[in-house]
Amino acid sequence: MNLIIFTILTFLIYRFTKKANKKWNFPLLHPLLISPMLIIILIKSLNISTDTYAHASKLLTFMLGPATVAFAIPIYKHFHLVKKYIANIIVSVTAGTLVAIFSSFALAMVLGLNADYIISVLPRSITTPIAIEVSKEIGGLPTLTTIFVIITGIIGGIIGPYEIKWLSIKSPIARGLALGMSAHGVGTSKAMEYGEQEATFSTLAMIFAAWITLAWASLLIPALMNIFHLH
Amino acid sequence: MKLITTILQILLIHLFFFIGVGIKSYVPIPIPASMIGLLVLLLALFLKLVKIEWIEKGGNWLLAELLLFFIPSAVGIVDYEEILGMKGMEMILLIGISTFIVLGTTAFIADSIQKHKGSATK
Repeated sequence: MNLIIFTILTFLIYRFTKKANKKWNFPLLHPLLISPMLIIILIKSLNISTDTYAHASKLLTFMLGPATVAFAIPIYKHFHLVKKYIANIIVSVTAGTLVAIFSSFALAMVLGLNADYIISVLPRSITTPIAIEVSKEIGGLPTLTTIFVIITGIIGGIIGPYEIKWLSIKSPIARGLALGMSAHGVGTSKAMEYGEQEATFSTLAMIFAAWITLAWASLLIPALMNIFHLH
Repeated sequence: MKLITTILQILLIHLFFFIGVGIKSYVPIPIPASMIGLLVLLLALFLKLVKIEWIEKGGNWLLAELLLFFIPSAVGIVDYEEILGMKGMEMILLIGISTFIVLGTTAFIADSIQKHKGSATK
């Protein structure tokens, strides 16, 4: 019973915040920021524990798996672009993933964060379902990683258009790859505002970033953690 | 009718997810089940075992509503009270600087390669 109620409730709150976001188009009104806030307020005021909610909404979380599988559709449909621009995609997205991991790591060390936070922030630049898997793989805390991925998306969605303008990036491929690499799904929805090409490259960047980061999770990140004794 | 088609297509995509789960339980590879499912589906599309029309509507719905599936995880933030204070500000600063660098680097490299090739996309 709880399962049905909370799934529908979450869905309705999500639809409402999505509509509000469309209407006012203000970055901080992002559904991923407002929906959880409204749900937290609601369950707190009804004295429902977060465990109960997490348990009752697990159907939605489960859907992340099949949703990831569905990314096969854009890859298949735009395979001619993948083939044509494969070198550019791989070089720039590989660079992006390395910069994401190393800059997050360096800044986390400078701020003197504890190991849980340092490890959990490393996969922050990729799409949530894969970031969660990477986080588990390297010993991070999936919930923290989810939050960092969301913050990344929102910040990337806000600064992206300004930075692209400031750096006078004109080619659709560079705009798309940069938005998808730096702000995953949120970046991709921004890329849609530029055009179809930007949106396609953003989606491809997002998928390649996830694959490349998965590789780093078993090669690079364990080495990094060994050097700095983070376990 | 449209709703039923979409639901059936989503179920078909679930099948590929479960194939991924199945493969992962037999072969111990460090790739998430969902990624294995994605690769199997991609292969099935290229081998014409599955037609794109069979999954496109359902798949596009899943991708369009991706944010919905993150919400329960995001609610988990209340278990980390420290993040609502100073720690949260630090994390926003860290992520902001890092995202700025990642976006700039990726855009710059992709743009340079594109210019070097001398063939900008239309």
